[in-house]
Amino acid sequence: MARRRPDLPSLVAGAAVVLLGVVLLLDRLDVLDVRFAALGPLACAALGAILLASGLARRD
Amino acid sequence: MATRPAPVLRRDTQHRMLGGVCSGLGRHLGVDPLIVRVAFVAAATAGGVGIVVYLLAWAFVPAGDAPARPVRLRTSRGMIEITLGVALLALSVLLTFRALGLLFSDAVVWPLVLVAAGGALLWRQSMGRGPVVTRRTGETGRSWYASELERARAAAASARRATTPNERAVIVSRTSLGVALVIAAGLVFLSATGALSAARDVVLSALVVAVVLAVIFAPLVLRLVRSLTEERAERIRSQERAEMAAHLHDSVLQTLALVQQRAEDPRAVATLARRQERELRAWLSRREPTAGEPPRLAAALEQAASEVERDHGVAVEVVAVGDANLDARGEALVAAAREAMVNAAKFGGGSTVDVYAEALDGEIQVYVRDRGPGFAPGEVPGDRRGVRESIVGRMARHGGRAEIHSAPGAGTEVELTMPSQGGP
Repeated sequence: MARRRPDLPSLVAGAAVVLLGVVLLLDRLDVLDVRFAALGPLACAALGAILLASGLARRD
Repeated sequence: MATRPAPVLRRDTQHRMLGGVCSGLGRHLGVDPLIVRVAFVAAATAGGVGIVVYLLAWAFVPAGDAPARPVRLRTSRGMIEITLGVALLALSVLLTFRALGLLFSDAVVWPLVLVAAGGALLWRQSMGRGPVVTRRTGETGRSWYASELERARAAAASARRATTPNERAVIVSRTSLGVALVIAAGLVFLSATGALSAARDVVLSALVVAVVLAVIFAPLVLRLVRSLTEERAERIRSQERAEMAAHLHDSVLQTLALVQQRAEDPRAVATLARRQERELRAWLSRREPTAGEPPRLAAALEQAASEVERDHGVAVEVVAVGDANLDARGEALVAAAREAMVNAAKFGGGSTVDVYAEALDGEIQVYVRDRGPGFAPGEVPGDRRGVRESIVGRMARHGGRAEIHSAPGAGTEVELTMPSQGGP
């Protein structure tokens, strides 16, 4: 049976959501003190990575 | 979805600005190298990270030649996503370094990033992509004339591309965005350095001077613009003439050379002349099929007629009124018409075959007529399946109908009618 290649944008989006969830969980457990100054770049990076992966996967 | 393997990452020294890192990375990813360059500039302002990464890549990524075939950039939607993605990643790096206190001054970084993005847009617009030019060695076998024709074709195609409404809209929007980004960069810099109020006075003075100069020099500028417009129109006319010359060289002159070679064979000469006539008519009426466009009824009938002429040496005249995209039904109609043309060529006694096609609202009609000896349709033997299956049966299977009008000594007319959903 042929192995399906993972969908890159979905993979990156899932990883980004997991990462965001972990950061927010650590914040909730008071392990991290997340502020907007830290969360802003993180959100930008996650969104940027998703868009980049989606664009790269859209081959001609 | 089939994917093509990306080219191996190599520095592109042929299109380099410095070491060819950005150009090679852009080629590897299939994106415009300008996006990569802007991202590196933005990263360079974040404590010099971009410079370090660039130098490392310059040192460790081997140089390589550009591929023989130009790498196709991704679709516009993919390009937009990649551009936004790179911009957001660069922004996240900048914000992170700013939070860590490693960023250069805000008064320098943000204007620099905005200027880099706006300048890149304006630079791209002013330089344009232009036609892809491939240099080949060993062209001694090709004539100078052929090379000139190729250049003229590329120039004419480029001129046509630049005048489409979509292209103009893209040019205006890109230029406007680039100008806005550069102006925003200037305003941010002035605001950050506290010089905005002083600059306002300067801008006001400059505005007054600009108005005065505009009033003085407006006629001169207007004349200059008109002159440039006329020059451009003349250039386009010249390119069109060159394109026509190129086409005549490729078609008519070649056919005339073949006619001279086969002068002793009247049938071959007639076939060549008919094919050339058909091709010229299609070219003059812009009916030539273009790559990427859906097949059209008139072009398909012309193609079928050309094939029948070539195979049977009988003239086939096609007249098409209106046109339509070909769906499955249309293809069946063309196949049936082709079969009728073949029958007319084989049994029409060598008379000219007339094909008349008309695309109406919701219906396409095609008539194939010859002036041959004709036949009695009711007396066709049962084992002759050409008319019964390839014409009547095929039309019926696709929801159309075929009627055959013929009588001994009166020629034959095949009437084909097919419902159509293809657009005009």
